[in-house]
Amino acid sequence: MKIGPLNIPLREDFSLKSILNFEKTPVNMLVAVSVVAMLAMLVIGVSLYLMHGHHAYNVTREHPWGLLIAVYIFFVVSSTGFCIVGSLGDVFGFKDFTMISKRAIFGSIVTILAGFTVIAFEIGHPVTMMIYNVLSPGLTSAIWWMGTLYGLYLTFMIIEFYFLLNNDMKKAKIFGLTGLLVGLAAHSNLGSVFGFLNARTISQGVFYPTYFILTAFITGIFLSFIIMGFRYKLNFNEKTKKLLEGLAKIQGLLISILIFFVTWKLLTDMYGGMPNRAEVAEHILGSGSFWTEVILAMVLPLLIILKDFGKSPVLMFWASLSGMVGIFFMRYNLVHDTQLKPLQMMKVREYQLPPEWIHYFPSATEIMISLGGLGLCVLLYYVGTKAFNLDEEEGH
Amino acid sequence: MARYGMALDYKNCINCKACEVACKEENGVLMGADKHRIWVGVNEISGEYPLLDIVSHSFQPSQCQHCDEAPCQMVCPTNATYYDEFHVVRVDSDKCILCSYCMNACPYDARYVDDRTMTVDKCTFCSDTRLARGETTTACQNTCPTKVRTFGDLDDPESEISELLRTREHFSLKANLGTKPKLFYLT
Repeated sequence: MKIGPLNIPLREDFSLKSILNFEKTPVNMLVAVSVVAMLAMLVIGVSLYLMHGHHAYNVTREHPWGLLIAVYIFFVVSSTGFCIVGSLGDVFGFKDFTMISKRAIFGSIVTILAGFTVIAFEIGHPVTMMIYNVLSPGLTSAIWWMGTLYGLYLTFMIIEFYFLLNNDMKKAKIFGLTGLLVGLAAHSNLGSVFGFLNARTISQGVFYPTYFILTAFITGIFLSFIIMGFRYKLNFNEKTKKLLEGLAKIQGLLISILIFFVTWKLLTDMYGGMPNRAEVAEHILGSGSFWTEVILAMVLPLLIILKDFGKSPVLMFWASLSGMVGIFFMRYNLVHDTQLKPLQMMKVREYQLPPEWIHYFPSATEIMISLGGLGLCVLLYYVGTKAFNLDEEEGH
Repeated sequence: MARYGMALDYKNCINCKACEVACKEENGVLMGADKHRIWVGVNEISGEYPLLDIVSHSFQPSQCQHCDEAPCQMVCPTNATYYDEFHVVRVDSDKCILCSYCMNACPYDARYVDDRTMTVDKCTFCSDTRLARGETTTACQNTCPTKVRTFGDLDDPESEISELLRTREHFSLKANLGTKPKLFYLT
């Protein structure tokens, strides 16, 4: 299809009818109904937010960042992960991984769009943000760098995807590499949003900016198994098996490194009983959501990889679904744990106890917008599979 | 231009909360709003009767510390938080996007969301009210019955606050973070 000077190769049969036309298997129907339900929740959640503003959320002065920040991080981590996996083939030239490049780069675009949608309803004044990000940039702010670099990253990803669709691999490589570097910079800046919080000793430091890159790669591989699983209905051909075996082996290494990182992070947090840090680390160790993250995102997938060194792609598909639930808890825990300890520990009113731990549970509106973001992401991806040929072109 | 700071002879505080009322009245802070702009923290008596630790009981008036190296100013993505001509940390509500990063970054929990403007607000040292009218006192200082607060120009060696800081021992809250607060607690 020609749009102005651009040649966007849409699939011949792409139409509204082709979108509605899918195989009516129980799984497909379940996914379709879930997506419609999640989109309805997005509409309801956004309506409640527009009527009541931040009062529709359970965020407070002591816990100003809630579920939507965690979900935004979840989506942009997914995007960076997709970008890393997509780059293995078309930027770094690993032939076995080329077949997933186009699909992964498209995945990186839809996940970041879902992330931007969710954050638009968390930032109190998104239009003001777009104006004053340009007119009055706060260059010492990690949020400014993160937001600006992610905007650039999205642009590069779209250009790379355009060249991939047109089989212009040379230009795709140039924009892919640039997009990858900008994406990694954006993502480590997102880590530094937490790493720069000197007031929050549990998060402050170099850990998060580096850990974010590692977990992005892990997330990208989990998602690769999921999208390839749906693409081939778990009936993988030899070429795909080879790709997935390679990814599983990399995943085994990455999860091992992650376990190593997290273990030492917690040990150094607790060592010496440093005020504000050790007690928070101990509190985290006693929380169910931390162990959910550990079991679903680390232990289960690693055990399945170690079983036969990544030779069971179907099992890895299920492990990746478990992994993504674990990754969600990882993001939620990161945001919540950062704010666990009150910054002001004295009571200020009679008949009040001195503050202890900060409690937070997301409101129905926050949950609906978050699920809506997921629904939007799946819908965009599905429309993309109908509109574009996301498989590797023959002869490339 | 003056560089304003405040010394607090906090052991004289009787927790009458007149400072909170005066601040609300002067700066149009919502009535009934808890811990908006200024507050008095209470350390309760520790120990068990009859071995009560009487000296542990104290009041600690607090508010924005107007740090010279303010984390809230550094993290603001749109420079909505800025230093005014008196080196007071202020918020330009037109530029505030309510990302809440400053609320997470402030070590003193001095920031809150003003429900009327849906932007982040904080103590201004009465910059846009009393100082703007040419006065050199804050509402909280002016009303304090036990004269806990001394407000003045830190750069003027003749000012009362400079004299106090030269002659009285004092400390700052969370000084280890390097924020260089301009609230000084006299001991």
